Amino acid sequence: MNVNLAANADNGARVREFLADSLALWKVDGAVETGVLPVVAVIRVSSGATVWVERPAGHDMPCRWFVRWRSPGMCEERSRPCASLVGLLNAVRGALGVERGSAVRIAPAPVAA
Amino acid sequence: MIPVSVITGFLGSGKTTLLARLLRDPAMSRTAVIINELGAIGLDHELIETSDESFVRLSNGCLCCNVRSDLVLTLGDLAARRAAGTVPQFERVVVETTGLADPAPILHALMTDRDLCEIYTLDGVVATVDAVTGLATLKRHAESLRQAAVADRIVLTKTDLPGAQTAAIGARLATVNPGAPVLAVVSGAIAPSALFDCGLYNAAGKHPDVHTWLAHEAAAAAGGHARHHHQDDITTFCVVRDAPLRAVTLALLLSALAENCGADLLRMKGIVRVTEEPDRPAVIHGVQHVYHAPVWLARWPSDDRRTRMVFTGCNIRESWVRSLLDLLDAEVEDETAQRAAGLAAS
Repeated sequence: MNVNLAANADNGARVREFLADSLALWKVDGAVETGVLPVVAVIRVSSGATVWVERPAGHDMPCRWFVRWRSPGMCEERSRPCASLVGLLNAVRGALGVERGSAVRIAPAPVAA
Repeated sequence: MIPVSVITGFLGSGKTTLLARLLRDPAMSRTAVIINELGAIGLDHELIETSDESFVRLSNGCLCCNVRSDLVLTLGDLAARRAAGTVPQFERVVVETTGLADPAPILHALMTDRDLCEIYTLDGVVATVDAVTGLATLKRHAESLRQAAVADRIVLTKTDLPGAQTAAIGARLATVNPGAPVLAVVSGAIAPSALFDCGLYNAAGKHPDVHTWLAHEAAAAAGGHARHHHQDDITTFCVVRDAPLRAVTLALLLSALAENCGADLLRMKGIVRVTEEPDRPAVIHGVQHVYHAPVWLARWPSDDRRTRMVFTGCNIRESWVRSLLDLLDAEVEDETAQRAAGLAAS
């Protein structure tokens, strides 16, 4: 795999497919569309909310992803920078009001006798 | 460490019959038994012959709902009494759940309670399924399906009765949980060795039962399907990767699974080739959002050094997991390359 996959605009289709699967996983009715770079994905859900997922260009950017969203009733658009794909998913979930899962919990490793 | 095995199964599927028969075996003589019964007047415990001292009946509700206050306290109390010599020196604990229990919270308690983890270790989950009514039960009751899906061993009961659908239900169970052996029994007659000491970590210090976990993958390699999807949206699939994963990628993967899949990820097991430790595979095991710390084996159990992870969950697409892993891997590699370039430039 190309090590620059996540940074590559050509990878937008994979990201959009992944986000569409994420909506299904979260049981959110919506669709993921292509955006105009640096927006790699536009998420529109049936509640009326829209989320734009940006991949800032340039390796000197402090964040890897940038998420903007607007929901019905919101006075102005909100945004959040994300350092990783895990953060991106958290931001999109938050923007869509999805409550899912818990923080991972690591249990002590059993020691065989 | 004292192994704890969980016997679960839907109402009337033969859990108590199985347990009663197992406890007659001399190999089970040093076993403490915890039975969880719904209702103030439980009967199951009357059917079990074991020493009163190391037998506990929990009838305050379902274990999976009150697990903190009941199971943890009970196991702690048993351990204290064992240490004080007021109960026999039991070498194993068997917990029988109610027929409606979700095993996951019980496994969480056994995996995460710090005090318990110093004394006890989770051996595995045994699920009973009725050969006569099991097909309908699996279809109608989500609890039954989840019990079978998370099991390490499935015991098919009542196979001698008229109307038993042994072959059909065996095929169904092979799709629900392809990694778990399905063992047909009559009147609970089965050797304890077929059910215990064969889960994730066993008391004999053997390797985790990776080959059994990955039976599903082996079946796929032999020409079957790598993915099983059921009408009820429970899916089992195996993700295989040739290239090693960085440790941080693995950590991010587990975080993303926990935060995004929640209770829908019933169970995940795997053997992982980690970049930083290529000669020592990491074994991972999780139930919903709770994972054991990776266990590092001294060596690979076979010549196959690929990462293999088996996922069982509801409404989780295989493509989502594969994309997640690919994108995380790419992101971490990219970040690593950028940092290396930055260091070189400075």
